[in-house]
Amino acid sequence: MLRLALKSLLANKIRFALTTSTVVIGVGFVVASFVVADSLRASFDKLSEDIVSGTDFTVRGQLTFGDLTETEAPLLPEELVDQVAAVDGVESAAGTFFITGVTPVDGAGEVVTSGNAPVAGANWTDDAAISQWYLMEGEQPRGAGQFAIDISTFGSYDFELGRDYQVITPTGPRTFELTGVMQFGFPEDAGLGAVFSIFDTATAQELFGLEGMVQTIGLRTEPGRDAAEMQAAIAAVLPDGAEVVAAETISEEFSDAFEGFIGIFQNALLVFAFIVLFVSTFIISNTFSIVLGQRIRELSLLRAIGATPGQVRRSVLTESSLIGVAAAALGIGLGMLGALGMRGLFSALGAELPDGPLPLRLRTLIWAAAVGIGLTVASSLLPAIKASRTPPIAGLAEGAGGEAAARQRWRPIAGGLLAGLGLLLTLRGLFASFNSTTAQLVSLGVGAGLVFMAVAVLSPLMARSVVSALALPLGRIFGTSGRLARANAARSPRRTAATAVALTIGLALVTTVAILGQSLKSSFSQSLQNTVAADFIVSQGQESLPAALAEDLRSADAGRVVAFNSVQAQVGGEAHTITGADLDGITTVANLGVVEGSLDGLDPAGDLLLHQDPAGDYGVGPGDDLDLTFPNGETRRLRVAAVYSQTATFWGNWLVDRGLVTEMSPTAGDTVVAVDAGAADAEGVRASLERALEQYPQANLEDRSEYQASAESNLNTLLVLVNVFLGFALLIALVGIVNTLTLSVFERTREIGLLRAVGMTRRQARRMIRWEAAVVTLYGALIGIALGLGFGAAIAAAIPADIIDVITVPTNQLLLYLVLSLVFGLLAALFPAFRAGRMNVLEAISTED
Amino acid sequence: MTDTTTLAVAARAVGATKIYGAGDTEVRALDAIDVSFEQGRFTAIMGPSGSGKSTLMHCMAGLDTVTGGQVFIGDTDLSTLSERDLTLLRRDHVGFVFQAFNLVPTLNAIENITLPMDLAGADGDPAWIDEVVDTTGLGDRVKHRPNELSGGQQQRVAVARALAGKPQIIFADEPTGNVDSNTGAEILDFMGRAVTEMGQTIVMVTHDAAVAARADRVVFLVDGKIVDELADPTPEGIRDRMNRLGT
Repeated sequence: MLRLALKSLLANKIRFALTTSTVVIGVGFVVASFVVADSLRASFDKLSEDIVSGTDFTVRGQLTFGDLTETEAPLLPEELVDQVAAVDGVESAAGTFFITGVTPVDGAGEVVTSGNAPVAGANWTDDAAISQWYLMEGEQPRGAGQFAIDISTFGSYDFELGRDYQVITPTGPRTFELTGVMQFGFPEDAGLGAVFSIFDTATAQELFGLEGMVQTIGLRTEPGRDAAEMQAAIAAVLPDGAEVVAAETISEEFSDAFEGFIGIFQNALLVFAFIVLFVSTFIISNTFSIVLGQRIRELSLLRAIGATPGQVRRSVLTESSLIGVAAAALGIGLGMLGALGMRGLFSALGAELPDGPLPLRLRTLIWAAAVGIGLTVASSLLPAIKASRTPPIAGLAEGAGGEAAARQRWRPIAGGLLAGLGLLLTLRGLFASFNSTTAQLVSLGVGAGLVFMAVAVLSPLMARSVVSALALPLGRIFGTSGRLARANAARSPRRTAATAVALTIGLALVTTVAILGQSLKSSFSQSLQNTVAADFIVSQGQESLPAALAEDLRSADAGRVVAFNSVQAQVGGEAHTITGADLDGITTVANLGVVEGSLDGLDPAGDLLLHQDPAGDYGVGPGDDLDLTFPNGETRRLRVAAVYSQTATFWGNWLVDRGLVTEMSPTAGDTVVAVDAGAADAEGVRASLERALEQYPQANLEDRSEYQASAESNLNTLLVLVNVFLGFALLIALVGIVNTLTLSVFERTREIGLLRAVGMTRRQARRMIRWEAAVVTLYGALIGIALGLGFGAAIAAAIPADIIDVITVPTNQLLLYLVLSLVFGLLAALFPAFRAGRMNVLEAISTED
Repeated sequence: MTDTTTLAVAARAVGATKIYGAGDTEVRALDAIDVSFEQGRFTAIMGPSGSGKSTLMHCMAGLDTVTGGQVFIGDTDLSTLSERDLTLLRRDHVGFVFQAFNLVPTLNAIENITLPMDLAGADGDPAWIDEVVDTTGLGDRVKHRPNELSGGQQQRVAVARALAGKPQIIFADEPTGNVDSNTGAEILDFMGRAVTEMGQTIVMVTHDAAVAARADRVVFLVDGKIVDELADPTPEGIRDRMNRLGT
């Protein structure tokens, strides 16, 4: 039977190739997702090691709660460096800094940017192994007037040793002489594209506004010392709130923190990969059903001469396993290329991923094989079982090969059950409360998957009437070939439905995304309209602004300046993001929508403004007290002064004075600086702001509409990325349509031959096939868009109102999708129509069906 | 070979009845048929279209099941067999030749001939298979696919496949229905030799008197009943009977 399976595959190379291609794309996607994520892992694992290589222990302020990546450890007093160095057995110890928001400007006046990597300031240490800063060229910067720059920035921007450059620091822009080029890690550069300006320790302290303090202390012990004893000895000299941590632990902490991001990134990619695979399932299953239907005489012959149902089933499953094996192998190859393509795509969209080898791990190979083979075999299971039930006399009866017209009573019942269960899970995923995001996404994903399956099951019931209705104008426009196209599209509802369902899923997802995107945009615009009163907004992408910027703007005397920053704090054991703002001017830039209490006479040191949601959660109102514990371990009792209802991108649910945040987290820069022009002329205010910002070339000054446009453009980038990935699902749907149509044309060889014999021209034959495809795609597209409207609206409704509160349908975009589907349908028909047109009439009518 | 009583029976039907549908639409395709097919004989079943001759063959061969009565291959009562045992019985003890679509299009001639043995996972008898393949006269063409063979060659391959497993009985359904008369004669010769030289048992359904005349015995079927039979028939004798039966 293996021979039969092999021969059957070889005899149908095109069909084999088309079916395989859908799995190959899916497997390739899975492989690419893993490879890209693994490549990131490899880079960041190396970084995690490099960060502590050369040290045995790190002394740092104790994190009272939360994650290394979310909060910064409290600072340490500088004297501690000497105390630690004096511990018996400590060979070398030095204080180190890593402060983000330190931005150099190159000789051409261009602000150095890094994509997503940090732009930071650091200090070098005499013992280079401790800070990992190695001098590659020039000299170490010494004193308040010198700096060095990292080697990759030196190479890619306009910098020359010995010249002066501006560096924007938390204490304002300053000019330094570039004396050296340094590399993080040795001998390999381990900087991963981050931009560093490097100073000596005293300069760094002064620049970062951290005199008398260090961020962490790296230290190395003498060789041969017992690690546990050393750790205990060092711990003994530390004050409360400081801890000594082994290098391996720090490395693991970084690794875990990076894994948090990489894991999310990998899973997001895998979600798309599985969507693609899910769509391919329908194509594979449909192809097998059609082909086995066409082979009914062969199957019944096999049954007649003694093949057991098991043998027929195994033969089909062998065939699909072979396809799966081929697809998995090709998919791995494609996945490696796809990984390169993905990197290219991210970099084209401005989110550069670090270069590095593309590791193909065993886990990736196992997944590729499992998904490729497993999915193909699973999709062919139902057709295989159906084929094995072929009665031996099926091929002997007249008119064999047609689709049984039997009413399938199970369809409405099974479809209804699937739809019900699917909707239930979807709604549960959307509206129920979950402990973990994974559980929520699984409920949502499985629910949506079931709804799609319900559509696949129910669709044949309505395919005939809907398709007939859709195709009604064809007869009038194209005469006979139009009428035949309509009849052909409607004659096998099960096949039409199965062909269309892949497109339905693709378009449903694209439509969902379109609705969410549009709703996000309009909600954002509305919230900007209603809650943000500022006329100008200064920001620097994801980076924070130097604290000095707000002061400089204030002294420019151009409108009311309100700066925002943020810090984490724990309330009753739960961590929250606390926004800091200049409370005395908050009402000029923000419409908070106060529902209780008042904003008059706020006390910056002790007042808290609370959104109504957490106010409700904690059961507090104006006049009540709440204890907030900050990362530095300090707990403050704050009094709720007012409860408000409106949030925006600048501020969240907790508002305190900006000074309080700075006190608790001295390294926190400003996230955004808002300016209210008041009664003054906006153009004039803008001009003064621009003058004041000349020394901060990295900062963007935007008015409200510019700010909205750049927020939308960020969102658009994300939407493009999502749509490119969903495009693969649509591509597979297209392959499915080509596949089905090619098989249908082959199946109708006799019929088309007869039509040609009685006078149908090639043109007419081609037109008949083309419009059949168009009608099927239109059918799939309409259901898809309808489903997408439902999903999109449901998800939009489930998203908290501070993110989406208006549901908007992008009608033009949806119409465009519809037209595009029609065009793609016509394109998909090119090859089958060509074959139908080229058919030799005599051969066609003498074909034994 | 006319003394039927001394010959063992390869297959027989006892009161075999096949009813399709129910009530007003009930069709009695076989109406309590009793018939035996002896070993080493070549029997033709004749009858007008709709007489039930194909149904009788399908039921005798275990391709279809009777709704009443019994059907035996050798001593095995087919009505007692499960679908699986029925399949195995067909594979190991019954040979088939159909009017068309006898061969799996993706397998070559020799692979088609050994297909039942491959399905059984058995090697068969290589000497016998060689002999059977020789008698097809295909020569080097045994490595060709069906669509590269003529209609006559395809049918000879089909007969060879039926012979290769040394079945107890071979059923042929209009084996010459799709080929010209010369090729038809050639195939019938081939089947005749299988009976006389190899001692095979063949039951053939046909509506062609000239074809039926090549058999040792002809059974006439009308409206699902056996109405007559003829030993050592001639084409004239058969036509005479057929006319009398009103067809």
